[in-house]
Amino acid sequence: MTPPTQPVAGMIRPVPMPPDSQTNRDLLAVMKGTSAGYWFLLGLSLFFMHLAGGIWIWQVYKGLGIAGYAHPIFWGVYIVTFVFWVGIAHAGTLISAILFLFRAKWRNAINRGAEAMTVFAVLTAAQFLGIHVGRIWKSYFILPYPNQRGLWVNFKSPLLWDTFAISTYATISILFLFVGLIPDIAIARDRATGWKKVLYTVLALGWVGSSSQWKAHNRSVLHLSGLATPLVLSVHSVVSWDFAMALVPGWHTTIFAPYFVAGAIFSGFAMVLTLMIPVRRIFGLEAYITDYHFENMARFILLTSTICGYAYMSEYFISWYSGVEAEQTAFWLRAFGPYWISTWVMIIFNTVLPQLLWFKKLRVNVPFLFVLSVLINIGMWFERYVIIITALSREYNPAVWGEFIPSWPEMGILAGSFGFFCTFFLIFLKLFPVVAIAEMKEIAIHEKAHGAQGTH
Amino acid sequence: MARLVGIFELPAQVAAAVKQLRGRGYTDIETYAPAPFPEVDDAVHPKPSKVRLLTLIGGLTGVVTGYAMTIWMSNNWQIMLGGKPFASIPPYTIIAFELTILFGGVLTVLGLFIFGGLPKFKIDPAYSARFSAEDFGVVVRCREQDVAEIDALLREHDATEVNLVES
Repeated sequence: MTPPTQPVAGMIRPVPMPPDSQTNRDLLAVMKGTSAGYWFLLGLSLFFMHLAGGIWIWQVYKGLGIAGYAHPIFWGVYIVTFVFWVGIAHAGTLISAILFLFRAKWRNAINRGAEAMTVFAVLTAAQFLGIHVGRIWKSYFILPYPNQRGLWVNFKSPLLWDTFAISTYATISILFLFVGLIPDIAIARDRATGWKKVLYTVLALGWVGSSSQWKAHNRSVLHLSGLATPLVLSVHSVVSWDFAMALVPGWHTTIFAPYFVAGAIFSGFAMVLTLMIPVRRIFGLEAYITDYHFENMARFILLTSTICGYAYMSEYFISWYSGVEAEQTAFWLRAFGPYWISTWVMIIFNTVLPQLLWFKKLRVNVPFLFVLSVLINIGMWFERYVIIITALSREYNPAVWGEFIPSWPEMGILAGSFGFFCTFFLIFLKLFPVVAIAEMKEIAIHEKAHGAQGTH
Repeated sequence: MARLVGIFELPAQVAAAVKQLRGRGYTDIETYAPAPFPEVDDAVHPKPSKVRLLTLIGGLTGVVTGYAMTIWMSNNWQIMLGGKPFASIPPYTIIAFELTILFGGVLTVLGLFIFGGLPKFKIDPAYSARFSAEDFGVVVRCREQDVAEIDALLREHDATEVNLVES
């Protein structure tokens, strides 16, 4: 404990920099450089997004008639696609929040990609409410705001619940994504140059990873997870009540909320696989996103697919058991009526094919998982198509039955919704880490401290 | 006054060093970590984070707002349905629930900003990019005559290096 031999100021020297850690280099490399293939995909996505924008402007000018809205079907492909994207949006929060609360460490490698996907899917879905209402300049009427008519919205309507559920879900999932991103943006900030340095410096908010910051961060993530867990279950329940609260045969069932939630998680996990399998392959992230992660997701898909299958069967059983003629007719026509193709696509893609995942060989077969995940996405889109279109076209009175064929504006805007979603996901890939770097380090440092016996 | 930065590789070493420093009466300690480690954070700040208070306030505000808004609005614009009361609690519970989550979530993030000191406009000169790699840092502010003691203490806990930085 001798006093220093020279003045303290003379001993100050800059902290020397060792080489950057392997995790940082590997995961930040995803954000570096753009290949011709990337620009091609981005260009294609932008093309479809703008095509849909053009069609939408045309539709605003001409009216919803060009989208084929005619009696008795006033909920067409736009609502089908809305429900589809809301469903996709469920995996991110499920992986981030529910698996976080269950301390399932395998989520760390995939949660960021899934959270980003959630945010973009919710934003895609939210647009369909505006596209569907037709008179877009009056769409703010859905909000309870003071107005000169002295009129308030009807809070007993499921559409109002939907407004609150979707806007809450969008806000919370954006906050969740951003809070998780802050430490990673700081990592990127410390290594970036040029305009990216400015961007990351602003977005990192001066994060340095001090004890008070981590303490507050940990607690916030825990609480956001606690809040998001019931939220994620409520959002698709509320969407399902848009249907179940009506008296239309085929919609009016109590099973809808859990049935929709299971379907949403099912399709969301499939979408995570559809996105993360190419991302892992292209950017060489095999060391971080392993087959173990894909196998776990495959197990989730198997579970939720089985719940969906149970729901499909239970719907048919109840319609037969109830003895209500309208219900029985609705379900008979679903399987053997004019939309039989959609119904069988839905049943085969969503409940039959995923049963193959009982075999471990197929659960770890990545090309198989990729193909299966795409088929599930198609099947889940058709599930919503079946629920909405078959029910509306065959209501109680056969005199007002109708036929529905998707119109070209609807299909164009459907394609554009994928363009919108992919555009944002592709930009996200190049600006932000698609694997949560700090969380990967938490595992790496843990293993360094306790030897490499942990398998997560 | 002087400031010392000890560089560590493992969270357990950081926690032990911080505990001993606090035991010897050095309380102006800050740590930098690449990832959250409760043992490190608890060594510096033993009390639970106050973020939970803000979550509670947000959630309660949300549930009250949700019920108050829906009930008041239905009574302000009255629609008679079969002689039932204007306000209908079961559907309003959904609105109250969503607002509970919304306000609770927003205030949780506000709590992160307040108690995590974000946004921070001036970054500590003791901070270095190696703390966003895989190293841990322990920053101690002390009198100049204590530098040698702290230096020895940090090295005793396996600090890979100890540096002086501007205070």
